[in-house]
Amino acid sequence: MKLSIILAFITLLIGIYGLIISKNIIKSIICFNISQGAVVLLFLTFSKEYPSSIPIISENSSNMVDPLPQALMLTTIVIGAAITALALMLSIKIFHYYGTLDWKEFIERNG
Amino acid sequence: MKYIPIYLIFIPIITSMIIYLFNNKYVNYLVFLSQGVITYFSIKYFSLNNHFLESNILNLGGWEKAIGISLKNDRLSMAFIFLSIFIWWVILLYSWNNRKGDFKFLFFLLFLEGAFLGLLQTNDLFNLFIFIEITTIISTILIIYKKDGYSVKSGLYYLLFNSTGMIFYLLGLILVYTVTGTLNMDIAKERIELLNNTLIIKLAFVFIMASIGVKSAFFPVYNWLPKAHGAAPASISALLSGLLIKSGIYAYIRLHYIFNINDLNDLFFILGILTALSGIIFALSQKDIKQVLAFHTISQIGIILMGLSSYETKANIGGLLHVFNHALFKSLLFLGSGIIINHYNTRKITEIRGVFKRLPVVSVIMIIGMFSITGAPFFNGFVSKTIIKYGIKHNSFHSILFFIINLGTCISFIKFSQIFFGDFKKTDFKKIHSRSSMIILGISCLLMGILYAPIINVFYDIDLSFVNIFSLSALFNYLISLVIGFFIFKFIIDKDFYPMKKIRHLYISFETTNFMLISFIIIMTIISLR
Repeated sequence: MKLSIILAFITLLIGIYGLIISKNIIKSIICFNISQGAVVLLFLTFSKEYPSSIPIISENSSNMVDPLPQALMLTTIVIGAAITALALMLSIKIFHYYGTLDWKEFIERNG
Repeated sequence: MKYIPIYLIFIPIITSMIIYLFNNKYVNYLVFLSQGVITYFSIKYFSLNNHFLESNILNLGGWEKAIGISLKNDRLSMAFIFLSIFIWWVILLYSWNNRKGDFKFLFFLLFLEGAFLGLLQTNDLFNLFIFIEITTIISTILIIYKKDGYSVKSGLYYLLFNSTGMIFYLLGLILVYTVTGTLNMDIAKERIELLNNTLIIKLAFVFIMASIGVKSAFFPVYNWLPKAHGAAPASISALLSGLLIKSGIYAYIRLHYIFNINDLNDLFFILGILTALSGIIFALSQKDIKQVLAFHTISQIGIILMGLSSYETKANIGGLLHVFNHALFKSLLFLGSGIIINHYNTRKITEIRGVFKRLPVVSVIMIIGMFSITGAPFFNGFVSKTIIKYGIKHNSFHSILFFIINLGTCISFIKFSQIFFGDFKKTDFKKIHSRSSMIILGISCLLMGILYAPIINVFYDIDLSFVNIFSLSALFNYLISLVIGFFIFKFIIDKDFYPMKKIRHLYISFETTNFMLISFIIIMTIISLR
């Protein structure tokens, strides 16, 4: 197994560990980003065999990288950015309403 | 006419953009034009393709099947498309009086429709991911539309937890792509069959099912649902509970068909029972109208899951039918609760009294919805529940559990029906929403309950002679469960003992929910690799 796959997997575990233990909204958003980035890294390293060239058809394009994962992961990164932006905006709103960014300290509505 | 699947996705999206750009109250009427056009196109598409005896595949961009993106329609997706266009009509009619000048609301509503129709038609594993994420983001914006603290908090919980679930979908997708080298669902199915249940395919299935479980609120991972569905405006709650929760169920059916792994079916059946029972226990303890309805969505999802994961074909079709019936009656109940909350200015069941005298039409329609959800004969819930019951009747333990679940639903709605009786205090009278949409939903509940056979036979060839809506024993069963339910309610639930209070104030934090998600994945992995 390649070293990069192991490293990406460890990053994923760090992100998931953070999601399980962090009690703060900002930390949760950061850990969500870490784990999504780790998944992107995993997909890219899975589909790449060294040494390989960029996926543009030219004379010596025998050993090209599979271009599909790169396109897909670009989309995933964009979606992740949208989610992060929305989540950060909502956490600013929450701070205005409740004065705290702790998941537990919100006053539960009776119901 | 060949490109109708694309029109179905892009007509709502382009209309929404025009509405947003022009910001004019006359341009807003384009909503109805776009709805009419896609209704016409979907009916035309259905009749052109000979009622979809074979599925219709459209490859986009002139690429071949293995490389390009393709849209696929069969009977299942067409049934969902008809349902979603219908529900969108109802939501638009309901919210038109209040929102006709609100171009932002209409923009998000129509964009969501386009994305949802795309989700139903896609034949590509990665596009499914994209459409699910788009619907998640837009429905978050619609949940926080009231902009009060509670709804913003619920929206953030919904957004982050659903996106965390979708990370595992990506992980499964990586494994599928590495093994099969394709993202097209049809080709992936063929290649997965050749691989013969290897370890990697099973792992991919577990990861994907975990994310689908989050999306459709299965047992340990449904904490986002009551928050989100309780906090949203009434029309959006109806849309979320009636339809958007079914995107997970739809993906469950599709992906189950692709992977064709049956190791986890027993687990999913047990999860269905647990989902239904725990949803009912939470619903019984609540005092907020919308929270009760949201927890009942969970319990009905449990019933649907029981039907879909059973080995009996009849139970599968019953579960599928319950998806549609649940969409009708749960949107009806949420819309009605929206009118009541708007009228009384409170959400507490204990404070609302005398709805029947004050809002007679709304009450009659809501009682139709309550009869449907509890499974009374002549109403649509009865048909699907009977089919599921017939499918699992060989196992007496399961039948007893099913009876208990139905009894719990009865008790909960006896508690709910308190709001109709008694006298009302005079408060300032508020303008009520349009009731026409609720009347349409109520009539369709009755129609599905009586004319179920021809409607089902358009989509499935199944012998439904065992469902008899005139049978006296079914009526007797229903009345018995109502009577038992009334006594349990009177002597146990109404007293509001200490455990009920404890359950009502139970708050499950975000990190605990994530922990439950991880343990859900670990349990599924252990069972499937055994």
